[in-house]
Amino acid sequence: MVDLSQYLPILLFLGVAIVLSTAFVVLPMVAAQFTGANKPNPDKLAEYECGFPAFEDSRAQFDVRFYLVAILFIIFDLEAAFLYPWAVSLKEIGWTGWLAMMTFLAELVLGFVYAWKKGALEWE
Amino acid sequence: MTAFFQTHLGYGFGWFLATLILILIIALPLMLAVAMAIYADRKIWAAMALRRGPNVVGPFGLLQSFADGLKVFLQETIIPSSANRGLFLLAPIITFTIALIGWAVIPFGPDMALADINVGLLYTLAASSLGVYGVILAGWASNSKYPFYSAIRAAAQMVSYEVSIGFILISVVLWAGSFNLGTIVLAQKGEIFGIINGFGFNPLLFPMAVMFLISAMAETARAPFDLTEAESELVAGYQTEYSSMAFALFWLGEYGNVLLMCALNATLFWGGWLPPIDWAPLYYVPGIIWLFIKISAFFFVFSWVKATVPRYRYDQLMRLGWKIFLPVSLFWVFLVSGFLMLTRYGAGA
Amino acid sequence: MIQTIAFYLFATLLIASGALTILARNPVHSVLWLILAFFNAAGLMVLVGAEFIAMLLVIVYVGAVAVLFLFVVMMLDIDFAELRAGLARYLPFGMVLALVLLCEMVFAVGAWRAGGVDLGHRLGATPADVPNIEAIGTLLYTRYLYIFEGAGLVLLVAMIGAIVLTHRARSGVRPQNVAAQNRRRPEDAIRKVNQPVGQGVEL
Repeated sequence: MVDLSQYLPILLFLGVAIVLSTAFVVLPMVAAQFTGANKPNPDKLAEYECGFPAFEDSRAQFDVRFYLVAILFIIFDLEAAFLYPWAVSLKEIGWTGWLAMMTFLAELVLGFVYAWKKGALEWE
Repeated sequence: MTAFFQTHLGYGFGWFLATLILILIIALPLMLAVAMAIYADRKIWAAMALRRGPNVVGPFGLLQSFADGLKVFLQETIIPSSANRGLFLLAPIITFTIALIGWAVIPFGPDMALADINVGLLYTLAASSLGVYGVILAGWASNSKYPFYSAIRAAAQMVSYEVSIGFILISVVLWAGSFNLGTIVLAQKGEIFGIINGFGFNPLLFPMAVMFLISAMAETARAPFDLTEAESELVAGYQTEYSSMAFALFWLGEYGNVLLMCALNATLFWGGWLPPIDWAPLYYVPGIIWLFIKISAFFFVFSWVKATVPRYRYDQLMRLGWKIFLPVSLFWVFLVSGFLMLTRYGAGA
Repeated sequence: MIQTIAFYLFATLLIASGALTILARNPVHSVLWLILAFFNAAGLMVLVGAEFIAMLLVIVYVGAVAVLFLFVVMMLDIDFAELRAGLARYLPFGMVLALVLLCEMVFAVGAWRAGGVDLGHRLGATPADVPNIEAIGTLLYTRYLYIFEGAGLVLLVAMIGAIVLTHRARSGVRPQNVAAQNRRRPEDAIRKVNQPVGQGVEL
């Protein structure tokens, strides 16, 4: 059974953490208005490009390998998600459950081997 | 404490106030600890390079971090004209918030966790998986070349090592039989011959402890995996456009995450708040002191590695994560569960 | 009382961020609102006592799926004019989907008559003293074993599909061969010669 009273402190903690970090960002901006540190000028506000004016769009298209990493991550994350309940109920489910999970893992290892052989894990 | 407030202020409000104070008791010393960790990091790093490190502000330079904090607080917050203002300011807030909330479930002693939930370990895993957003948002909202490259790198790196962290944690959970961090700590009592506390001393789990430590370094983008802020390639990484306290929050968040990972290392593998040896007199020392000693020891290891190990190349980093840690930790799930079935659970069946 | 407040807080935020997901003009903002929606959904899951599902929602959807979404929308140069052109083409299909969703919503609102928000009330009885992660475990790997294995196959297909669709072998790269580097001994790379004077070195 879930003890909801244990989750309320987390909600409060989240609130406190957000307030604290927002204060850390906003207060210096307010303080800078009073101390006179806030003196923006166009050159200061330009994005960093080693001293040159920026010469191309900074949000360039990216190598497809980054998507592949993200997709593989989702799959392995889901696999791990199946392992979590299994890990705590191993006592109840016995050999049946153990073998079921080993079959499941074997399926995934098959995919992993395929990825390896195809060179999808390679980062040239 | 909760009972005290409740008798004086009524049930609901008393509970609220007591919890709020507890949260501040965790959050404020944590920020102090982060400040001291930055100082300690610089001192250790300096000592290994035969330098003195910060030694001017306060005795032994102890107040250096506070002086730095005051300085950045009074600086101007520069928001680049091409940046997305809202997201640009949101990124450091997210980073720091996430570094703080992970601590909600760490047990500081027997029954001394702010939130003693059944799925505590999953909660910390969830919190650490959110860390990637602060970095991605910072890189994207800056609308500048180097921060963007850094953000993409960081995202792929954190995501890759989260996979192996997930599998490593399963080995621990199998052994402890629970996701509750308090139960995991107690399960480590007398792990070896009923004398030594800690899963890390178990030869079967020790390799996982080492892998977790290394993955923790990669997950928090610490040296030798600090490719996200590799200054020779990416200027200052995703923080390039940041200044003032917004910049400092990334720092604080990074060190907060490092300390959290040290605490997780201590809690999952080295007995948490338990003394290292299961011997009655040692239990008179409060658990939080043991935990503090262990966290400090791991933090020293992090600094030590940072000072001595050269930076990985990105392909090497990916290779280590996907081709070594992932298969090994997966194999260990098989190994540990098989061992448990043969010895603990399945012997009769 | 706090439960009810929390429910309305999460529910309001969930609906608001869901609406903003489709209303935001910038696709990156859309994904961020979607993430906020996932969070609030996780909060609702905790409220009904499904803490494991709540954590999974955060780990899998926020921690993994949304990262991929962000990757895609951040790195694709999205041409809004082209998107608008596509609108006319997909309009009939979109209308059908909208109609289905509308029906679902009508049913959901109709179900409001079934009773008030009673979070303690569940359709299936849950054992009181077992954490729900263990309860899921005991069922999933015994009673629903075939479905579970089927899920494994789906994941396998997904993995192979993703690799087939996105992986392109690159030519002209020279990846580091770690095994070969480690196997290399001084004898393989070094040759001792007693070099006579006045003759070139044989390479």
